[in-house]
Amino acid sequence: MTVFKYFLKIAIKNRWIIIMYVTIFFVMTVLNSNDAVKREESFVESKLNIGIIDNCNSELSNSLKDYLKDENNIVDTVEDEDYIKEQIFLEVADAVVIIPEDFDEKVIRREESVLVYKDDRKPQSIQIENQINKFLAFANITYENGNFALKDVAEALNESVEVHVLPSGEIEGSGINTWFKFYFNFTGYVTIALYIAVIGVVMSDFRDENIDSRRRISSKRFLEFNREIYLGQLTLASAVTITFIIASIIFMRENIWNVYFLKYVVNLIVFSFSILCLTFLINNITRNKHAITALSTVLSLGTSFISGVMVPQEILGDKVLAVAKFFPTYYFVRVNESMINSLSDIGFDIFMQLLFAVAFLLLGLIFSRKDLLVQ
Amino acid sequence: MNNIIRNCIYQGKNLFRDGSFLFWGMTYPIIMAVFFYAAFNGMMNVNIEDINIGIKENKGISNILEEIDFINVHKIDESEVSEKLESGEIDAFVDGNLNLIVKKSGINQTIIKEVVEQIKQILKLNRPVDGSEFSVSYVTGKNQEANSIVVIFYSLIAMVSTYGIYAGIATASLVQANLSNIGIRINATPLRKENFLIAGVIVSFLMNLLANAILLLFINYVLKIHLFNDIKYSAVFIILGNLFGVILGIFIGVSNKKSSNTKTLIAIAVTLLLSFFSGMMGPWIKVMLDEYIPFLNRINPVSIITNNLYRINLLGSTRSAVEGAIMLLFYCMVFLLLSYVFLRRKSYDSI
Repeated sequence: MTVFKYFLKIAIKNRWIIIMYVTIFFVMTVLNSNDAVKREESFVESKLNIGIIDNCNSELSNSLKDYLKDENNIVDTVEDEDYIKEQIFLEVADAVVIIPEDFDEKVIRREESVLVYKDDRKPQSIQIENQINKFLAFANITYENGNFALKDVAEALNESVEVHVLPSGEIEGSGINTWFKFYFNFTGYVTIALYIAVIGVVMSDFRDENIDSRRRISSKRFLEFNREIYLGQLTLASAVTITFIIASIIFMRENIWNVYFLKYVVNLIVFSFSILCLTFLINNITRNKHAITALSTVLSLGTSFISGVMVPQEILGDKVLAVAKFFPTYYFVRVNESMINSLSDIGFDIFMQLLFAVAFLLLGLIFSRKDLLVQ
Repeated sequence: MNNIIRNCIYQGKNLFRDGSFLFWGMTYPIIMAVFFYAAFNGMMNVNIEDINIGIKENKGISNILEEIDFINVHKIDESEVSEKLESGEIDAFVDGNLNLIVKKSGINQTIIKEVVEQIKQILKLNRPVDGSEFSVSYVTGKNQEANSIVVIFYSLIAMVSTYGIYAGIATASLVQANLSNIGIRINATPLRKENFLIAGVIVSFLMNLLANAILLLFINYVLKIHLFNDIKYSAVFIILGNLFGVILGIFIGVSNKKSSNTKTLIAIAVTLLLSFFSGMMGPWIKVMLDEYIPFLNRINPVSIITNNLYRINLLGSTRSAVEGAIMLLFYCMVFLLLSYVFLRRKSYDSI
C-alpha cells in the first residue's frame, strides 16, 4: 500500500490549502441555506415588504399606516430617493410609501395624496396601490362635518373572506425542509468544486513526469497502482463528504427527524461517488494543473447553474434542463427537491447517477491505459 | 524606459502564450456568462399578467369584477373548479358566499382576496356609495424597475475585472529566484528587477483589460444584455478592479513560498468568496449581508465594484462612486507597499 500511504501523506502536507477550501465552501453553504429558509417563509405569507415614511403624522395618516402594517411586512427605509430606488431595485422592498405633510387636505380634495415608489411591472405594485386607494376611499366615504370616522373604517376593513386551499398531493416545503433542500443542493456544487480541486492538488504530485517515469519502470502493477490511487481519493473524498453530512446533523439536530434525512444522505453519497469517478477521469485526461483547476471551477459552477442548484429547476428553461440531463448534478438536485414516501421513489435518479459514475470510471481507465501505451 | 517597453513586449508574448491566462482571463468569463444567461434569462423579464378569476354564472358580483381592468372573469361551473385551478387557468374561484377557493397562496391570490374582501367591506361600512369614490386614485406612482438578478452579471464583471490576479502571480514568480528559472537568471544578471516588475504590472493590467473588453462585447452583442448606460464611470471601476487584481496577485505571489499551483488556488478561493459575498451566486446573499453586516460589503472590493456598476448604470446614482474609488485605490496602495516590503533587499545565499 505504498501508493496509498503516500497519497495520504501528500494530502496531509497540503492540509492547509484543503482546510481553507473546505472552510470557505462550508461558509458559503451555510449562508446560502440559512438565507433560503427566510426566502421561503416570506413567499408563503405572501405579504409585501414595504417601507413607510410619514411626514404628516395626523390621525388619518396614522390609521393608514396601521392598516398597511397589518397587511404587510414593514422594512426600514430613509427618505432619500437614491436609497429607496436601490431598495426597490434589489427587491428589499416591494414598495416605499411617502405620506406628505398636507396629506389630509389632499385626501379630502380627492387628489393624489401619497407618493409610492414601486416596480410597475410587478403584481405587487397593484396590490399596494389597491390597499392605499381602498383605505382612503373608505375614509372619504365616512368623511362628515370635517371628521373621518376612522373607527368605522377600521371595523369595515376587518371584514374578511374565507380562503379554502385545495388539498394537493405534495406538502408545501416547511422552513426545515427548505433548509435541507438548499443545504444539500449547494453541497452538490461544493462537492464538485472541492473534489476536483483538492484531489487535483494531491494528484499533481503523482503526475510529475519524473515520478511518473519512475513508477512505470517499477514492479507496481498498473491496476494495483490505480486501485490504491482510487482508494486514496476515496478516503479524502469521504472525509470531505462526511464533514458536510455531520455538519448538517449538528446544525439541525432537533429537526432531523422531521425530514426524510436518509434520502439526502444516500443521495449525497451516491452523487459524491459519481463525482469522484469524474475526478478520476479528469486526472487521467490531463496532467496540466491549470487545466484541472479550470475544470473544477467551470464544471462545478456551470453544472450547478444549469441543474438547479442556485435557482429552482422550474424557473430554468426546457432547453437548459435538456443540457443539464447530461450531468449527474441534475439527478442529484431532483432527488433533493422531491417529496418521497420511500427510498424506492428515487430509484431512477439514483440509478442515473450510478450510471454516470460507471461511465466516468471506465473512461478514466481507458484514458489511463492509453496514456500507458503511448509512453 | 526602453527596458520597460522591451520587457513589456516579452512578457506580453509570454502571457499570451500561457494557456492558463488565456483560459482564466478570456475563455472562463465568457463560459460563465453563458451559464448565467442560460440559468437566469427567464427571471430577468417580468411582465405583469392579468389575473384570472373563476366565478359561477349569473352572479351579481361578476359585473363589479369585470369592470376592474387587470382581472379576467371566467364563468365556470362548480364541478370544473378544481380542474381549472390545477391547470392554472384560473388563480382563484369565488363561490356564492364570496369565499375563495385557491390552489396555492401567492400574490395573485392575495390580490383577488383583497378585491373580493373590498366588496364585503363596503357592505359592512354601511354608507351610501355611488361608485365614484373608487374611481379616484390617491397614489402618485414612481416607477423603479426591480431587477435584482442582474446584479449577478455586474458581480461577474467585477470578479473578472480582478482576474489580473493570475497574471500578477505569474509576474511575481518571474522575479523571484526561488520560484522560477527565469527568476534565477534575472537575479544573477545586472538587470533591474523593478523594471521587470513594472513591465509585468503594465502587461497584466492591459491584457486583463482586453479580456474584460471582450467579455463586455460578448455580453452586449451576443447575449444582448445591455448593462452599461454610463460608460465613463463604469470604466473607472473596471480599470480600478484590474489594477487591484494585478496588485493583489503580486502580493500573493511574493508574500509566501508556496507553489504556483497553491497560489492559484488561493487566488481562486479569494476571488470566488468575495464575489459570492457581492451576489454572484444569487443577489439574496448580498441583500442578506447588507442587512446584517453592511460593513462587509462596503469594504469588499468586488462588492464595491458590483454596487457601483449597478448604481451608475441602472439607478443613475454616482453618490457612492468617489468613496468606492478611494477605497479601491487605498487597497492598491496597501498591497503595493506590502509587496514592496516582501521584495526589497532580497538576496539569496545560493541560486
